[in-house]
Amino acid sequence: MAQALVDLLRDNFKEAVLSSHSHRGDEVAVVRRESVQEICRFLKDGEARMQLLRYIACVDLLTYDTEMTGGGALASNEVPAYDLAKKAPREPRFQLGYNVYSVVRKQSVRLRVELRSDDVKVPTVTSVWRTADWWERYLFDMFGIDFIGHPNLKRILMYPEFQGHPLRKDYPTRKRQPLVAELEFPDLIRGPGPGPGGAGVPMSQTHVGRKNVDPTTYD
Amino acid sequence: MADGRLPILRPEGNVPESPRLHPGAGEEAAVPVLLTRREDATSWFESKVSGALGWARANSLFQYPFVTACCGMEYMSVMCGRYDLARFGAEFPRFTPRQADLLMIVGTINVKQSPVLLRVYEQMCEPKWVMAFGVCASSGGFYDNYATVQGADRVIPVDVYVPGCPPRPEQVLDGLKILQEKIQTQRHVLHSVERSPEMREDKKRSFLGKLLAK
Ligand code: SF4
Repeated sequence: MAQALVDLLRDNFKEAVLSSHSHRGDEVAVVRRESVQEICRFLKDGEARMQLLRYIACVDLLTYDTEMTGGGALASNEVPAYDLAKKAPREPRFQLGYNVYSVVRKQSVRLRVELRSDDVKVPTVTSVWRTADWWERYLFDMFGIDFIGHPNLKRILMYPEFQGHPLRKDYPTRKRQPLVAELEFPDLIRGPGPGPGGAGVPMSQTHVGRKNVDPTTYD
Repeated sequence: MADGRLPILRPEGNVPESPRLHPGAGEEAAVPVLLTRREDATSWFESKVSGALGWARANSLFQYPFVTACCGMEYMSVMCGRYDLARFGAEFPRFTPRQADLLMIVGTINVKQSPVLLRVYEQMCEPKWVMAFGVCASSGGFYDNYATVQGADRVIPVDVYVPGCPPRPEQVLDGLKILQEKIQTQRHVLHSVERSPEMREDKKRSFLGKLLAK
């Protein structure tokens, strides 16, 4: 269907399009990071007429090979401790997906940009689609992707005091960064005691099946 | 437990908290201390006044709905015709915290919002009570993640927790009845000066006590 679009891209950007494939009817073109801006400009203004940027998404593949395919971590209800030394990190670690749509042709195509973890920079497409502004701020907030040339690259969802990027796989799952000091409140079931949850254990650690979590990454 | 319901847990609760006036079965009665006749009479009057004030306060709760998420739908339902929280004495939502006694936290509280919640709570005049409406406000619910406060009681003291995602209106009515019971059993004084530490010992009298001492 949208194969013609990918062929068009391949004809016009011979070196920039690294590969392409189709996934359940969605055409995907893996493109080089340096030329993402001109490809987007071509897609919007050229004969493809892709006026609508549906979204920009990002995937962190850091634990993709171990956690997602291992099965063991999914079967257990324990939160796996993030021991990155034991897991083979995957490179390139991040994948950006630009899903663009043409209202006229009623076709969509997805551009994929792969980023290595030591260099998470990509040119902004804010000048092409205005809506890319907030998507790129969102990806900066959640994944720490650095969009070169973005006019206002700051956090959009989290508060400015927040440290780190929460959707990265090496962000501790249960790490909290409270803005106001948390109250010492009594645990109604287990009675009062030291620590935020009573009896020396934080309230959130008293849930079933979560006893083995590393306390340093916890709350 | 007589009606087959789980016992209501009465925590060391909110301000102003005070010893129970009428301890229930199994609880220790207040230890009698030596009283003069005047103090005896004062405390008797005070307990009567407190009962009347508690009755008045429990049945005229003005609520401030702090609606942040999907529980708001259930809040609308509980305020509207079929369930009608007003029947139980929580008549009128006030949309300024300065005119409210009951802060209803309806929905998820995330970390970015917690200073706002704290500010709203601080702006309410004493006496004030807090209801956590739904599991999100009670414990964070299923949002066990970086963005959500794991229960509004991490930010402000909460009097009554209404579980459910969202809770049925009947649960909210039940929670309101429990809160009213709590308010009824609290000690209410007409004019409390006992909280300020710089007050001299002989001035530590309530308004009624002063009146009787004249
Ligand atoms: S308890 Fe359920 S209905 Fe209420 S705010 Fe949370 S998710 Fe929404």
